[in-house]
Amino acid sequence: MLTRDQIELIHQEVDGANTAEGSAAFRSLVAQDPEAGALAAALRDLAGMFTQVGERDVPPHLTRTILDALPRPSRASPRAILHRAVERLRLVTEGMEAVMTKKTVLIGSAAAAIVIVVAGIVTGFPPSGHDAGTIGGVEPATRYHGRTMTEADVSLKNPDISALFQNDQVLHLVQSDAFRSVMQNDAFRQLMASDAFRQVMASDAFRQAMASDAFRQIMASDAFRQIMMSDAFRTLQASEAFRQMQASDAFRQLAAQDAFRQMAASDAMRQLAANAAYRTLQANAAFRDVMASDAFRQVMMSDAYRQIMASDAFRSVMASDAFRQAMASDAFRAAMAQDAFRQAMASDAFRTIMASDAFRQLQSADVFRSLAQSQAMSQAFMREAMSQQQQ
Amino acid sequence: MQRCLEGDQGAAGALVDRYQQRLFNVALRMLGTVQDAEDVTQTVFLNAFTKLRTYDPKYRFFSWIYRMAVNESLNALKRRKPIVTLEHEIGLQSSGAAADGAAEAADRLGKALQTLKPDDRAVVVLKHFVSFSYQEIADVLEIPVQTVKSRLFTARERLRLALDEGVR
Repeated sequence: MLTRDQIELIHQEVDGANTAEGSAAFRSLVAQDPEAGALAAALRDLAGMFTQVGERDVPPHLTRTILDALPRPSRASPRAILHRAVERLRLVTEGMEAVMTKKTVLIGSAAAAIVIVVAGIVTGFPPSGHDAGTIGGVEPATRYHGRTMTEADVSLKNPDISALFQNDQVLHLVQSDAFRSVMQNDAFRQLMASDAFRQVMASDAFRQAMASDAFRQIMASDAFRQIMMSDAFRTLQASEAFRQMQASDAFRQLAAQDAFRQMAASDAMRQLAANAAYRTLQANAAFRDVMASDAFRQVMMSDAYRQIMASDAFRSVMASDAFRQAMASDAFRAAMAQDAFRQAMASDAFRTIMASDAFRQLQSADVFRSLAQSQAMSQAFMREAMSQQQQ
Repeated sequence: MQRCLEGDQGAAGALVDRYQQRLFNVALRMLGTVQDAEDVTQTVFLNAFTKLRTYDPKYRFFSWIYRMAVNESLNALKRRKPIVTLEHEIGLQSSGAAADGAAEAADRLGKALQTLKPDDRAVVVLKHFVSFSYQEIADVLEIPVQTVKSRLFTARERLRLALDEGVR
């Protein structure tokens, strides 16, 4: 019976790893013990099999596939290269969540139905467009402030995201000009380029997200590969705007706002994310068109909306029980599911309103801010709005 | 490396040319399917270029990139459903499969490899398909040399058994 040391000696001899002394000891062992000789012979046979098998040639298309998937050095900065792997997922998931109204529009729609409808009523602004208008208005700020990835940001771990990648409509959207437009939005780029974002990229929380099963599933999915290989994505990656994005620190201030991180992590957000009506809304092509419109982007870019989003009042509304109840109500779901609502969202009138100076003035009006700063008022109007919708 | 960092696409292509064959074969022996091996190879290069600035030149580049290949392969195995049908392992056939002996050896060895635990398989692959020394394997896998030996010797015994009993 060979000892462990003797077995190791034999293996090392076959591997050519013995010293001269070791080899001498091996020869002596083999001479004395047939079992040692048999083991050495068996191991050499095994090694011979490996040698016989050799290497398999690389599939002809692999080189091209790899090179095509790499960043375009002529236009991408080293920093872009550095972050490319994580960027690609983040871009898609964030973009999807933003455009597809995962959380952002959830808030937007919700706040819309409440705060802004109220504002419309108070200011005398035509109520017909305000609901929808608010949705657009609220969404952007949420995007700016709420997209910081933290451990509390469950999006990457959310099965819903995985499901999104399996959805043809989602893929179509990601590959669309509309999606690209959002990605090329200055505010979005600033966000992506911020120090805060880079810190998030380097955070343990983000790494944990990257290591999660959900992330792996996404990365391994055919849908994700299709996205990665799409012309739209490559164009984005290679764009000068994307490169510039890497150099901006504009988002740091926005990302530093605890309020939005808290909002993203709040129960209310999760409840909203689970809201069937919102999912229905996400699937609405007309709604996505609105989200991708110039008008929507203009609103998104406005300081007024950012201020609103950053206000204590907005947070209060979002955190209020009344708001949550409203969001969970059948009435709200029914309202969101109405064809009329969808049509309104997709209408030219809505877009016109969104792009109008009047609407922007409304956003910046003191009366609007005063209203938004009043939680009681917001709740009252919310009840009123919901009551009207139920009727 | 420096040229890659400076955005030289030619340098990037040279790196791919230099390492893709070995990395692909490591992944193939680890995973047993061509498709998975392609995916892993591509991912490794993407990750490598993404993290190129984090690479410390005082360490060997091949250790760094092989480590990524092994780790990515192990991750792929974890993601994979528990059952891997042997039909998928046809990818282990060598490029010289026209020779019956080589094809048969590749087939038997490929099946036997899949019976090993992934960690043991990694050691065997690096030893026999990449011809790394114990120390190089230890560097790639970031484990002690003695652990490399232990895994390798144990894995070989299992391979011998598998070849003798199951897949001959």
